[in-house]
Amino acid sequence: MAAPVPWACCAVLAAAAAVVYAQRHGPQETPHVQYERLGSDVTLPCGTANWDAAVTWRVNGTDLAPDLLNGSQLVLRGLELGHSGVYACFHRDSWHLRHQVLLNVGLPPREPVLSCRSNTYPKGFYCSWHLPTPTYIPNTFNVTVLHGSKIMVCEKDPALKNRCHIRYMHLFSTVKYKVSISVSNALGHNATAITFDEFTIVKPDPPENVVARPVPSNPRRLEVTWQTPSTWPDPESFPLKFFLRYRPLILDQWQHVELSDGTAHTITDAYAGKEYIIQVAAKDNEIGTWSDWSVAAHATPWTEEPRHLTTEAQAPDHDQHHQLPGTPTHHEDL
Amino acid sequence: MLPAAGEPAAGDSWGMLACLCAVLWHLPAVPALNRTGDPGPGPSIQKTYDLTRYLEHQLRSLAGTYLNYLGPPFNEPDFNPPRLGAETLPRATVNLEVWRSLNDRLRLTQNYEAYSHLLCYLRGLNRQAATAELRRSLAHFCTSLQGLLGSIAGVMAALGYPLPQPLPGTEPTWTPGPAHSDFLQKMDDFWLLKELQTWLWRSAKDFNRLKKKMQPPAAAVTLHLEAHGF
Repeated sequence: MAAPVPWACCAVLAAAAAVVYAQRHGPQETPHVQYERLGSDVTLPCGTANWDAAVTWRVNGTDLAPDLLNGSQLVLRGLELGHSGVYACFHRDSWHLRHQVLLNVGLPPREPVLSCRSNTYPKGFYCSWHLPTPTYIPNTFNVTVLHGSKIMVCEKDPALKNRCHIRYMHLFSTVKYKVSISVSNALGHNATAITFDEFTIVKPDPPENVVARPVPSNPRRLEVTWQTPSTWPDPESFPLKFFLRYRPLILDQWQHVELSDGTAHTITDAYAGKEYIIQVAAKDNEIGTWSDWSVAAHATPWTEEPRHLTTEAQAPDHDQHHQLPGTPTHHEDL
Repeated sequence: MLPAAGEPAAGDSWGMLACLCAVLWHLPAVPALNRTGDPGPGPSIQKTYDLTRYLEHQLRSLAGTYLNYLGPPFNEPDFNPPRLGAETLPRATVNLEVWRSLNDRLRLTQNYEAYSHLLCYLRGLNRQAATAELRRSLAHFCTSLQGLLGSIAGVMAALGYPLPQPLPGTEPTWTPGPAHSDFLQKMDDFWLLKELQTWLWRSAKDFNRLKKKMQPPAAAVTLHLEAHGF
C-alpha cells in the first residue's frame, strides 16, 4: 500500500535517528579522566549501564578478557604503570560505545627537595626543586618567598620549569629569607620550606675558559689562565678569589693553590713530561661557598724533544722516566 | 660628665650608656698624619679592609660563645625572629642601587657612624656579661673595633673628609622606659651581634669598592664599569 507517510512521522523518525546517532558519537567520545594510585585496586563502571548489562571492555583498542569483569564493571587489581590507558566499554551486540575512561596510574607526591643559590650576587638568587621519586602523573608546584614578613615575587625561569628567580631589593640584610614550596597532584599533596641568610647561599658558577699551556724552555712549568664566570655580574665591587688544583694524570693526589686575585697562575713544580689535569674554582672574597670545579684543562709541560702525542696511553718512555726533575736542559738561551 | 658610678637602673639596657657614648664620640680618633711623601689613601684603605676581615673572623667565635651563653633559642641555627625592638641599632641593610651609588664620603661616613654606635653598645654588653672569659673576649673585640674606627677615620682624613659629629638627638639616648625583661634584653643582644656581623660583611664590600676607585688605572676601570652600566 503506497499511502504517503505523514510528515509528522518523518519528523519523529528523524529525531529518533538523531538520538541514536548522538548516542553512538556523542559526549561518550571524550573520555572521563581518572587518576588511581599505584598498587591499588579499582573498579570501572561502564557509565550508566546496569550491572547485568552485556558489555565488552577494551583497553587502547585491545579486547580484555571477560574474567576481569564483575557484571558490566571492569575490575583491575594491583595497579601497575602499564595499566594506564584508554578503557572503553561497548554494548556487546551492537558495539555501541557506552563509556570511555582515561586511566592514569600514579603516586601522590613525596616531600619535594628545594634548594636556593645566588650565583649572580648581588643581583639576586634562584631556587630550584624536584621530587625525590616520580609520581608518573602531572604535578603543580607553588613557590612563595618571604623576606621577614614581606612577600617577594619569584619569577619563573623561561627555560627550566622547576626553577624561579628572585631579585634582591636590599643588600646586607639581617633578616632571613624563607622559601616554601607546595606540590600537589590528583592523588595528594606535600610541602617543604627552607630558611637562610642572604650570605650563606652565595655560590658562583665555576670559572670559564680554563686553559693550561706549557711554557717554552721550562720543563717544570705550566701556565694556567681562566676567566671569571660570566654570570657573576660585578667582579669589580664583588671580587672573586680562586682555588686551583692540579695533578699529573698518573697520580691521585691533588696539589692546591689559593689565589686572592688575578686570573692567571704559573705552576712551577710540575713533573717533567707528565700530562696534567688542572681545575679552578671560584668564591666571593668574603661570603658564601666555593663554586663547583671548572671543566678540566689538560697540558703537558714543555720537553726538549718533540713528543709524538697519541690519544691512547703510551708505553713509558724510559728516557723521560730516568730524567731527574730540575735537570738542566741543553739549551743555552732560556 | 660621666654618670655617678653605681648599679645600672633596672630596665635600662643600652640607654644608660648615653653619657659614656657621648664621651666616645668626642674622643680624638684621628691619628696624626704625616702628609709628606704621602702614598695616598690606598694603603690605609687596604688596611681597613684587612681589619674588617680580621674582626669578622674574631666575631664568629665571639658570637658563638656569647649565643651559647644566652642559651636557646638564640644559639639555634634556624632561629629566625622578627626584627622587633633594637630600633636604635645602625642597620647595614640598604637598597642595592642606593648602595651602589653612594659617594665615597657618604660610604665612609655611614661605616664610621655605624661602628661608633655598635662599639658603644658592645661596651654595654661587656658590662653585663656574666663570665670573666666573656668579658675578656668582648673587651678584646672592643679594642679591635676601636682600631677599625681609627683606621676608617684615617682614610677619611687622608681624603679630606671631616669626621662625622653626632647630631643632637641621634646619639643613643637614655630613655627611662619600662623594665626590659630578661628575654627582650637577650633579643637585643642577639640583634646587636647579627648587625655587627652584617656590617663587617658590608664594610668589606664598601672598602673593596673604595680600593678599586683609588687604584691608578682607575680611569680605565671606571670606563669599563660605565660601559656595563655599573
